[in-house]
Amino acid sequence: MDQIISSLEQFWQFTGFANVAWQNLVMIAIGIGFITVAIIKEWEPLLLVPIGFGMIIGNIPMFPGLNIGIYENGSVLNTLYQGVKMGWYPPLIFLGIGAMTDFSALISQPRLILIGAAAQMGIFGAYLLAMHVGFLPNEAGAIGIIGGADGPTAIFLSSKLAPDLMGAIAVSAYSYMALVPVIQRPIMLALTNKKERLIKMPTPRQVSPKEKMIFPIVGFLTTAFIVPSGLPLLGMLFFGNLLKESGVTRRLAETARGPLIDVVTTLIGLTVGASTQADKFLTGKSLLIFGLGLLSFVIATTCGVLFVKGINVFIKNPAKKINPLIGNAGVSAVPDSARVSEVVGREFDKNNHLLMHAMGPNVAGVIGSAVAAGILLSFLG
Amino acid sequence: MMKKRILIISLLACLCGLGAKAQNVSDLIISEALAVPDSTGILDDYGARNGWIEILNTSQGTVTIGGCFLTDDKSNLKKSLIPKSDSRTQILPRQVMLFYASGNGAQGTFYTDFKVQKGSTVYLVSNDGRTIIDSLLVPANLPDGMSVAKFPVDAKQIKHATSAEPCVPTPRILNDSVDSKTKAQQMAEKDPHGFILTIVSVSVVFLSLAILWFLFTSLFKDKSKQTKKEAAPKKKASSKDAPMDDATALAIALALEMEQGGDDIAAIAMALHLHLTQSVHDAESFVVTFQQGNSSAWRNKQLNFRQLPR
Repeated sequence: MDQIISSLEQFWQFTGFANVAWQNLVMIAIGIGFITVAIIKEWEPLLLVPIGFGMIIGNIPMFPGLNIGIYENGSVLNTLYQGVKMGWYPPLIFLGIGAMTDFSALISQPRLILIGAAAQMGIFGAYLLAMHVGFLPNEAGAIGIIGGADGPTAIFLSSKLAPDLMGAIAVSAYSYMALVPVIQRPIMLALTNKKERLIKMPTPRQVSPKEKMIFPIVGFLTTAFIVPSGLPLLGMLFFGNLLKESGVTRRLAETARGPLIDVVTTLIGLTVGASTQADKFLTGKSLLIFGLGLLSFVIATTCGVLFVKGINVFIKNPAKKINPLIGNAGVSAVPDSARVSEVVGREFDKNNHLLMHAMGPNVAGVIGSAVAAGILLSFLG
Repeated sequence: MMKKRILIISLLACLCGLGAKAQNVSDLIISEALAVPDSTGILDDYGARNGWIEILNTSQGTVTIGGCFLTDDKSNLKKSLIPKSDSRTQILPRQVMLFYASGNGAQGTFYTDFKVQKGSTVYLVSNDGRTIIDSLLVPANLPDGMSVAKFPVDAKQIKHATSAEPCVPTPRILNDSVDSKTKAQQMAEKDPHGFILTIVSVSVVFLSLAILWFLFTSLFKDKSKQTKKEAAPKKKASSKDAPMDDATALAIALALEMEQGGDDIAAIAMALHLHLTQSVHDAESFVVTFQQGNSSAWRNKQLNFRQLPR
């Protein structure tokens, strides 16, 4: 009988109930919150559901040394986490993004490409702020990339510059990407007047398949020669796009933008979520990162909108003016931020469709954030 | 056709060859050598003070030095073999490995069959026993307890040059790493507030995208005019009054019938409307078709059966 009681007591020590801490419960509640928001509000469900469930998995209290935790060498979760830690997943996601992105909006109106550059100010604004509050330059760079509004890029860069902060940075980036409509709309309205919101932009010209085929090669050569450190992201992005546009690699393109990106998204979301173990995540630094992340989105949106307003000053022909409501789309949250431009634009004129125009700076933002990540990596990596 | 294939295969073979060369023994250099130790010199595993030779892997990949040779005699390049079977002979990227010049290679993997003499040259020889990978001249006037070392001379830290002056020995330590700091630490000192990095980075981002803008504007300038010209007659032909082509009408009808969701029908209708009336849709790379079923050689079992000859 004593042996049975002793065995039960021993077993009790291995259960979650015996090892639970309030921090674990907080993180599990946050995970459930993510899943709830994703299901009810449908905010980035493909990311928030895996991340939310990953948070629950990562915060199940357990007895250490059973070789099952994400930070225990050789465990299943640890093996899957290597894709995040070593930076394999983000380039694979970029391959899929390239294979599903239509750059014709950008090719047809190349002038909109600079909006994608202006919105990257969010990255560097957050970098300056992070330096100001006492983060080291490498940590500040990793935090700043949240302003690129690009989850894979944020994971890629933080895994290289500040692996300890990666969980907080990744969750912050994806959370704010899900909140793009909530964050960007009031800024866009505050910075524009009614006249500006009603600007109708000329219909984009038709883009030929040949132009679309040339784009990834020229785009890659240009950006990669300037910032070779962005090679994993830029290479995969433009390679994926070439698969799509070449017309002769349809099966590869379909795999890249379908099953491959689905698998990698599932794994990256789950493992990033699971990496947010309470003892590593619930710290003052994480709160600061969340605050700086929010500010970076605000700065990015503000700079994008103001940049368009600035350009309009120099455009004399009223028919060629740019609607500042597409300025927010310079961040690379594709296509959410472009969708915000469309929705806000139609609030003031139901016939003013801005989606096609906003996709130009939106995809330029993807390139811009990858370039910015490359620059930060070369300076701080 | 055959020529083309041979050309492609040759090209791939060349590329593979280049890739293989990037992380092989040719990336190793003799980074430092000491001929005569003084009383502060390091002790080997037997408690003796010997001269030593330090090898640096300059590449970013792991290199196995096992099978290579060390020698101080150009007429006998195979003088001291580095054992091939020892897994400890792997040199990690940008790391060094030390060999004691005890004069008795039988003492272990990291011992050579010769002693480093002042005025001699030490050679690192490839595993083919013929190719000299690197050499280092030990000056005849090198003071006891001092070493001769090579230091990086380029930003990539691949090219190295021998120091003119005798050096304080740094065995098992990178010659340029005594005071080295991480890039982030250097940046924290140079740019404590982050303004310089911000200005440079923003400029580079703008420059990159401005170049793209310039390239696309100039590359695709004529194309846009051409496409506009092409689009013009199409618009006329597909005005509202023009009768719809039978095949197009059939395609629309079939597509709408097969699709169940209202969103899909609306999207298809809108796309066709824009394409036929306003020509705003792109010229797509593929022909869009609506197919029933999803059979392929992978799914259909009958296609996987072996076709027996009759």
